[in-house]
Amino acid sequence: MTAMTAEPSIWELVNRGRWALVRFYAYIGASLGISAMAMYAQGGYNEDAFLYQILSSQGLLWGGTGALVGAALAAVVITMKPAMLQGRVAPNTVPWLDGMLLMVILASIAALFEPAASQISYEDQSKLIAGSIIMAMNVVFIFSAVAYIAYLFAPENFIGRIATGSAYFGIYAGGTALLLRWHESYMIDVEIGHAPVSNLYEVFILLFMITAAIYLSFERRYGAKGMGAFVMVLVSAGVFFGVWLDSVGQADIKPLVPALQSYWMKIHVPMNFVGYGAFAVACGAGMTYLLRHGMEARGSKSKMLNIFPTLDQLDQLAYKSVAVGFPAFTLATILGAAWAAEAWGGYWSWDPKETWALIVWLVYGAYLHARVSHGWHGKALAWWAVGGFLVTVFCFIGVNMYLSGLHSYGRLT
Amino acid sequence: MSLAIVLLMVLSIASVIGTVLLQNQEQTDYLQQFGPLWYWVFRSLGLFDMYHTWWFLTLLGFLMLSLTACLWRNVPKMLKEMRSNKVTLNERSLKRMELLQHWKLKSTMSAAELEQIFRKQLYGWKFKAVEENGQHFVRADKGRKHKWGYISVHSAILIVLVGGWISVQFGFRGNMAVAEGSMEKTISFLKGTETATLDMPFQVRCNSFEINFFATGAPSEFRSNLTIIDEGKEVLTSDIIVNEPLFYKGVYIYQASFGDGGSDVSFKLFHMDGSQKTSIAKTSVYKTWKDPETGLSLEVTDFRPYNVENIAETFGEKKFKDIGPSVEYVIRGSGIKPVKVKSYMNPYIDADGNNQGSWMTVSLTGDAKDYQTVAMGLDFTNQDEWRLYNAFIGYLSQIEGKRNEKVNFEAFQKALHDVYGDSPPKDIQSIGTRTIQAVNLLPQLPWPVIPVLDDFNHVYYTGLQLAKDPGMNVVWIGSAILVFGLCIMFYMPHRKLWLVIRDTEDGTEVSLAGITNRNQIAFKETFNDLFTKLDKEFGHS
Repeated sequence: MTAMTAEPSIWELVNRGRWALVRFYAYIGASLGISAMAMYAQGGYNEDAFLYQILSSQGLLWGGTGALVGAALAAVVITMKPAMLQGRVAPNTVPWLDGMLLMVILASIAALFEPAASQISYEDQSKLIAGSIIMAMNVVFIFSAVAYIAYLFAPENFIGRIATGSAYFGIYAGGTALLLRWHESYMIDVEIGHAPVSNLYEVFILLFMITAAIYLSFERRYGAKGMGAFVMVLVSAGVFFGVWLDSVGQADIKPLVPALQSYWMKIHVPMNFVGYGAFAVACGAGMTYLLRHGMEARGSKSKMLNIFPTLDQLDQLAYKSVAVGFPAFTLATILGAAWAAEAWGGYWSWDPKETWALIVWLVYGAYLHARVSHGWHGKALAWWAVGGFLVTVFCFIGVNMYLSGLHSYGRLT
Repeated sequence: MSLAIVLLMVLSIASVIGTVLLQNQEQTDYLQQFGPLWYWVFRSLGLFDMYHTWWFLTLLGFLMLSLTACLWRNVPKMLKEMRSNKVTLNERSLKRMELLQHWKLKSTMSAAELEQIFRKQLYGWKFKAVEENGQHFVRADKGRKHKWGYISVHSAILIVLVGGWISVQFGFRGNMAVAEGSMEKTISFLKGTETATLDMPFQVRCNSFEINFFATGAPSEFRSNLTIIDEGKEVLTSDIIVNEPLFYKGVYIYQASFGDGGSDVSFKLFHMDGSQKTSIAKTSVYKTWKDPETGLSLEVTDFRPYNVENIAETFGEKKFKDIGPSVEYVIRGSGIKPVKVKSYMNPYIDADGNNQGSWMTVSLTGDAKDYQTVAMGLDFTNQDEWRLYNAFIGYLSQIEGKRNEKVNFEAFQKALHDVYGDSPPKDIQSIGTRTIQAVNLLPQLPWPVIPVLDDFNHVYYTGLQLAKDPGMNVVWIGSAILVFGLCIMFYMPHRKLWLVIRDTEDGTEVSLAGITNRNQIAFKETFNDLFTKLDKEFGHS
């Protein structure tokens, strides 16, 4: 793990202190503005049209006003109470919000290149461009994995930058493609339109993005670059699965079954994938730990040891990912229960997917107990992080493949 | 290894069983699947309704006990710990700190000034200062409430489990099938391996049920119009759809399923004895019609008003179309193997618009997986084709023995003339091919009559799920506390910093010490930042 550079870069200037805080409150203002539009503006909230309402001049007016008010208030408060600049929430959150905004902008630009409505039909979705962007994402993610592996053997700064850069590119490509797919589902038919988190293919892309993003935030904050090879190899394995799904016709935009037609889907599913993604990163850290531990035990003098974070750091990074994933996964499961209560008449039915979510939760709960209350460290917990992720993968894909139940709309055919 | 870890792992392993073994299926299915020995082993362990067995509930009980014990033991200790904030540090505990830095300052800054600089760097921290034995201690805390995270998470899980217990103990959940136009009062549900029933304090009438479709043919909405009748009075009429239940008298009513509510169907029976006769059989779904003459019986099991199918001929293409109503029945008779049939009312019109004749799918095993398509050749909805078929069969039987292509063709010509006279229809080519297909197939069918759906009066039933769950709100409260507690636990570490100032002969000695109970990496970064800043400030002035 290399120390962070001391001189303030442009990144730090923009993402720390005054600018971060002003922007942070501008984002809050904008979302309050949009919420106000949903509640009070003419037309109000219409589930199917809201995406477009936000991007229309009406949305820009409400959101923009909110952003300006937020930014202005923040500027005033900073002058009155400069100590606020020390806060960590704004600088930690703002880059993520910037990224999301950039994805929206990229998707809006890409939407201009969509073919005319007459060329699109439900039967033939091949002319839609999100598919090509996803293909580009697949290639870039695999390339990034290769570059991260190359970096282990040839730790050139240049190779490292390419690896990181391509991982970022992959995330933005994935985000853009997903947002575009949302738009495309409405282009096919307003009735079909729905958020792009409705089938395995779509959530896989979400999973790649979240996994890579969590890893990259660790790389940026803690310089854990040696871990990238493991995390991106996991992502690449997922990419191959996604390509297979596409090849068997699971990538088409399909109308939602009645059970999925609920706003809960937009909250429950992405929240779940924050959990899954974080557990994937924990698994990556665990694998790196095990490799480094093995090398050290053999007395290896390999240069690779200089790139990997130390054992102690890897141990803590795995814990940190679980600390991100566990609350997110808990919340996601609770949201799922709330949805189940509304759609199926009971918050818990011991459906296979629910039960496996509980199993995943118990496994990581035990991990946390072992670590926090019993002071376990090192190898055993690294194995636990890896094993926990295998359980997670079964919960995510295995249940859909091998077990039936109420979640069977996620079924592979 | 502690009890908590063991308990969590045992619970998760036990939970796996119930996901691998399908729960609450028909007992006969289990018996068939596992054979008598394993069936009885599994049954006596309660594995077919595993999550309600005494041993699984005991495990959950142990979890509750363990949680209570943990809280009982730890809460007083933690509350005390959160109240205490000892400012002074002895030499030994100072040395033991994870993070520690020292300065030897030559400057003449007073302890108060140094403390002021220290305080200025830390936004949102709580400070306390004490003078003791010539040393000046400043303690700074952030996240002192951290232990509340532990307390709330563990009590939240306890609350959720209690909520679950209340749900099971005082709530109910069951199903009710209400045919369009009729009323129901009773729900049925599984209790262990048996079915139990319960009367609701009101009646539900289904006024109508409808399915709406996407253009692709996939269902987009299941909608029931219900009226609640309480003590003979209509109190409420409302639509429900999936995800939007109805609430009355503490009971939620959900749209869960649908099916045929006993539609009237009538079959046209085409007699295969050469008499050219047809007759009508009227019955309804879930009933059995018996032919007094032949002893043939039709047990009608289902009816569907629409069947949207992909009729594209090349693989991978899609062309969705409603191919019309279908009826499912089991056909039985003396000397006939009983088979399950799904028969369509309309002839099959292919993607190019060509009539391919009437058709049905037949399952010899009675399993829906084994349905095989039988194209009957004739379009039974067209009376002329039935006449043509019979005339052709008649002429063929006259020339029995010396059949060849030429006389066959002549027989067909004659039959054609009998039916259509001098003006055969335009698609006579295809009719001819199909009639020959029928001549080859139909006489081989073992049935004395061929039943073809002729008319229907469709009625749905709506499958409702009714549930009362007094524990639900308790569960939500527990869940909210759980998430809140986890956030405190993971994102509000208790960080402590000390600045210890003591005057010595050649200047001032200052120590900066830090400790945290979570997220050591980030704290180390913060500590080093603080050290760099203080270093600058202390050195400069």
